Amino acid sequence: MAFLVRFWGTRGSIPTPGRATCRYGGNTSCVEIRTDDSLFICDGGTGLRELGVDLLRRGNTPISAHLLFSHMHWDHIQGFPFFAPAYRPQNRFHIYGTHPGDTRFHSLLSGQMRSAYFPVDFSELNAHVDATDLGADGARLIEGVMVRCFEQKHPGLSYAYSLERNGRKVVYATDNEIDLTLADPTLPVREPNAPRVIPGKFIEFCRGADLLIADGQYTDAEYLKCTGWGHARATTVVDLAVQAGVRQVAIYHHDPMQSDRDVENKIETCRLRAARFGSPLFVFAAREGVEIKVD
Amino acid sequence: MAATQDGNDELGALTAENEIPVMPVQVITRPYMLQQIRGPGSPIVYNLEADVLVVGRADDADIRIGSTALSRRHMRLERYQGGYRAIDLDSSNGVYLNEVRVHSAVLRDGDTLQLGNAVFLFHEGK
Repeated sequence: MAFLVRFWGTRGSIPTPGRATCRYGGNTSCVEIRTDDSLFICDGGTGLRELGVDLLRRGNTPISAHLLFSHMHWDHIQGFPFFAPAYRPQNRFHIYGTHPGDTRFHSLLSGQMRSAYFPVDFSELNAHVDATDLGADGARLIEGVMVRCFEQKHPGLSYAYSLERNGRKVVYATDNEIDLTLADPTLPVREPNAPRVIPGKFIEFCRGADLLIADGQYTDAEYLKCTGWGHARATTVVDLAVQAGVRQVAIYHHDPMQSDRDVENKIETCRLRAARFGSPLFVFAAREGVEIKVD
Repeated sequence: MAATQDGNDELGALTAENEIPVMPVQVITRPYMLQQIRGPGSPIVYNLEADVLVVGRADDADIRIGSTALSRRHMRLERYQGGYRAIDLDSSNGVYLNEVRVHSAVLRDGDTLQLGNAVFLFHEGK
């Protein structure tokens, strides 16, 4: 087994509990990626709280995990103060910056745990929480997994991460407004069915992924009202996945206004698009509580 | 409905004059269910009452499906957060949740599960 990928939070922007979202979930971004020997956590939205509960339920052995943050917007860090394993002294957590000396993520996580914002100070966490980085090239071998990062288009910047092991590859790419990076950003409006030209570097970063988890927050209609907000059309993610030869793509970071039915309609549109391209790509909606094996 | 001198009515609830009594409500319960809608043995409904159930073609499976398209021990259903979670027991043909192949999944009302050539509909209980 190369990877087990479990979704703990798939919603963007703000948690959205309620009847209309109970299938795909209302927790914000958090994905657990496990191998036999290692644990990676991508983002610490509200889904991180439940991941923490589950980690403690799995047993008493010390937990060591590698935390990769796409960026520090609230919906990607708000679960961290409630991450119970961080309060246990036998546990170790490594927070990765994208280059040497990059301690932004560590600094901002600790910054949100000050009395003005939260009653428990970061210094009161009993686990060992250290700041480290992916190295000068933004790539590092961590417990047998090659982890790479890629800078994305988002207000204040965000990062995608690829994880490779034993010939298998998972890419986590959320909060990325790919549509603003298209060779012709007006093409999707003028010719919606035409293939969109995505920057080659990003295609190569995602090349051959067995599972791509990508921000597909908006439908085409929604995107017209939210251009510049930092998120992509789900249909553009399909083009990316097809051009990169991805095996399956999980559309992620669902808009808070989208009900379960809206998410399903969004996915149906994406599947039709992939089929129109004659691609074997499988498209599905990231859903809380679902675990995918990549082997 | 006769009122007694101290204001109690026949339902037993104290009432002030002109006040409508709060009536006891009968709570409707329904078990969690797995409804097989396709494949050998269908249609059939299984009430899910145990904390752990194994679905497969083995004779001792809790839900036995007589098809070689299922592994002997194909999937486990276990209680999770008041509902159920489905876990693939390394089956040959996989577990498909609403057409997505999953290793495990927390189940929601209306989910479909395909194991080999058997298809099930999951119903949340009350």
